[in-house]
Amino acid sequence: MIQPRFSNLPPGFRIQRETNTEEFFINMGPQHPSTHGALRLALRMDGETIVELVPHFGYIHRGMEKQAESMSYLQYIALSDRQDYLTAIQNNLGVVIALEKGMNVGVPEKGEYIRVMLQELGRIASHLVFYGCFGGDLGGQTCLLFGFKEREMIHDILEEVTGSRLTTNFFRPGGSRYDVPDTFIPRVKAFLDHLEDAMRDYERFLSKNIIVLERSIGIGVLSKEDAIAYGCSGPVLRASGVEFDVRRANPYSIYDQFDFDIPVFHNGDCYDRYKIRIAEIHESMKILRQCIDKFPKDGPWRSKEKPVRLPVGRYYSEIETAKGLYATYVVAATTGEKPYRIHTRGPSFPHIAALNKMVQGHKVSDLVTIMATLDPVIPEIDR
Amino acid sequence: MGIINFAPKILDPIPGGKYVVNAIDYVVNWARANSIWPLTYGTSCCAIEMMSSSMARYDIARFGSEVFRASPRQADLFILAGTITRRMAPAIQMLWEQIPGPKYAIAMGACTISGGPFIYDNYAVVRGAQNLIPVDVFVPGCPPRPEALFHGLLTLREKILKETCRNPWHEGQPKDVSTMDRYREAAKTWAALEEMKDEEMAEARAKFKEENPDYKSSFKPIRVKKEDFPEVERKPFRRVGLTQLELYQKLHDKFPGITFHTHSEDPIETVLANAPADRPLEVMVEPEDYVAVTEFVKNDPEFKMDFLIDVTAIDYDDHFDLVTQLRSLQIGHKIFLCVQLKKDFSIPEEKRATSLLASVPTVSHLYPAAEFKEREVYDMFGINFEGHPDQRRIFLDKDFVGFPLRKDFTHPEMIRRPV
Ligand code: SF4
Repeated sequence: MIQPRFSNLPPGFRIQRETNTEEFFINMGPQHPSTHGALRLALRMDGETIVELVPHFGYIHRGMEKQAESMSYLQYIALSDRQDYLTAIQNNLGVVIALEKGMNVGVPEKGEYIRVMLQELGRIASHLVFYGCFGGDLGGQTCLLFGFKEREMIHDILEEVTGSRLTTNFFRPGGSRYDVPDTFIPRVKAFLDHLEDAMRDYERFLSKNIIVLERSIGIGVLSKEDAIAYGCSGPVLRASGVEFDVRRANPYSIYDQFDFDIPVFHNGDCYDRYKIRIAEIHESMKILRQCIDKFPKDGPWRSKEKPVRLPVGRYYSEIETAKGLYATYVVAATTGEKPYRIHTRGPSFPHIAALNKMVQGHKVSDLVTIMATLDPVIPEIDR
Repeated sequence: MGIINFAPKILDPIPGGKYVVNAIDYVVNWARANSIWPLTYGTSCCAIEMMSSSMARYDIARFGSEVFRASPRQADLFILAGTITRRMAPAIQMLWEQIPGPKYAIAMGACTISGGPFIYDNYAVVRGAQNLIPVDVFVPGCPPRPEALFHGLLTLREKILKETCRNPWHEGQPKDVSTMDRYREAAKTWAALEEMKDEEMAEARAKFKEENPDYKSSFKPIRVKKEDFPEVERKPFRRVGLTQLELYQKLHDKFPGITFHTHSEDPIETVLANAPADRPLEVMVEPEDYVAVTEFVKNDPEFKMDFLIDVTAIDYDDHFDLVTQLRSLQIGHKIFLCVQLKKDFSIPEEKRATSLLASVPTVSHLYPAAEFKEREVYDMFGINFEGHPDQRRIFLDKDFVGFPLRKDFTHPEMIRRPV
């Protein structure tokens, strides 16, 4: 019988297993181009095969929750931008909905339309970055250029509306900071027409590409049971065959007034996770087109401004960002402008927790593919 | 030290030699300044703007820096894109030491200049990259636009063009992390400048009045009318699954220890029946029942809470509230189980800040998702999870002292926010 080479495994490694070949450890990160930020992965290898993976977080832990305790609610909206910066506009909404529940203010119809449109634009922007990084991590730098090209157009629109490209800090309880300019609707329309063409090209470029097919089909399979048990959400969960989307399950804002599908795929491998995001871009475009048709010409775009003071209680909100379920839990111990505690549940954290399940038995190069299809944003995990 | 560093010593004394040295400088600087290869490094938000700047729209290739190298050994330029945390700091210093000289650093974004949005009440963020490595150019912004980064690059180019082999590039020393509060320093300078400006303005005004005694301003303030917004009633989002009252009654029948806390005087049933449709039910569970209740709601066909949203905690004076947030993917309702954990005050006072004050059984065998979440609670609050398979700190270093999300947490590096 062959003894395991390491009788004392480093912290985190648990699987008891005997190997025939030499067993060794690889460290990946915290500065590594394909860990999407400052994430460190420790790998235990059997020859070229990954036996076990242990993620090490905290390299970008910025103590946001501690800081939030001495900030006002409004200031925290600005911090939420910096959690998942690819979908900053969506995080804003998550925080704001929780505050609205506490303050009990509603949003007029035009305000809701502005919200939904910016949400979907944010979702498309994030999925375009995914498209680029997925291609880039597989070795196709061209995809990176493609994905960012259309994303810049969304940023132009966002900049015109919110004044900022990335960290938008836009929504407020009762509506938003500003009204949208008159050019907003024509620009979104023009962008959608352009994106329709562009997506056709992009899909043709990757979806049938033999390298992509070989490197993603059957790689990193996450079963339905595992996906639920690890708390995955968003495209990762839906690619494993679970139809769960907060927009459909617990509709917030006015998502119950639109006609769109929730794409679901059943294999749970990397290729499905790629396909589902492409399908979601198309669904978002569908919602945007409906918004353009129904967009109220006039009417108030926000409700009466009130001081942001929450009565004692605990408030919870959840929304569906591009990555998955984003929940905010606000605890107000005294009526006032400052929270007692704010906690954020980001969608990427459970995905990395489930990573160990997905990579076992694969090679390191497959790990890169799997990481790309999980599309994690590390500052949102560490906060 | 290349051979060109000896060139001035040999050539300068020779008549006409200094022109040769200048020519060498010209060629070397031209080569260096036009192809600065940055390192692929980015921790957070600013990294995305750095990526944008290398893409088609902005195209960093126009400035000769499109070759992002993944290995520090092939890079010349360290663009510090993103917040620097105390845990990341040693890695950054190591990366800097691995880059071969001549090497340059650009601090991109408010975070790397002073700590940016994370300066006050923060125990994790290093306030400025210049505390770690010598920085050549600072690019302000949060995040800086790609154009701003290009301005930084061009500024660095100018700096490189001024180098000569008479006064060659030399490596600065990595530094220790200091706790200087740059914001307050800057605010003081700013206030002094403002005062100076006020005095000057007052002087100028007095002088003007002396020279034109009968001048009358034609300025009239106008009032912009504030837009009138209506008050809008909030419509709670649609309810899914069982109502709060049904959930509560079903749970209460099974576990009589379960209670519901409310601040109103009405009976619990009325409060629950009138609660907004989109508020999840939050019940208080006895610590002894905690695992049993969790197991029950997970497996019971009427509850089917198969999805763990989160495990988190709240620190109060004498107890922690551990909140386990569960939802049912199939039915759609949510239950928050709140466990009140009394703090163990038998621990001597001076040791309390560093010891685990409460203990609760883990639920990670029921929900694998709970494993990492419980590690987070352990890390941030110092709550012990009995039977947890791998209880270690998750976000902070293993030698970090104290538990940051406790209300009485103090850290030597923390600066209080001025009020
Ligand atoms: S400066 Fe602003 S955008 Fe840049 S890393 Fe810091 S918080 Fe993020």
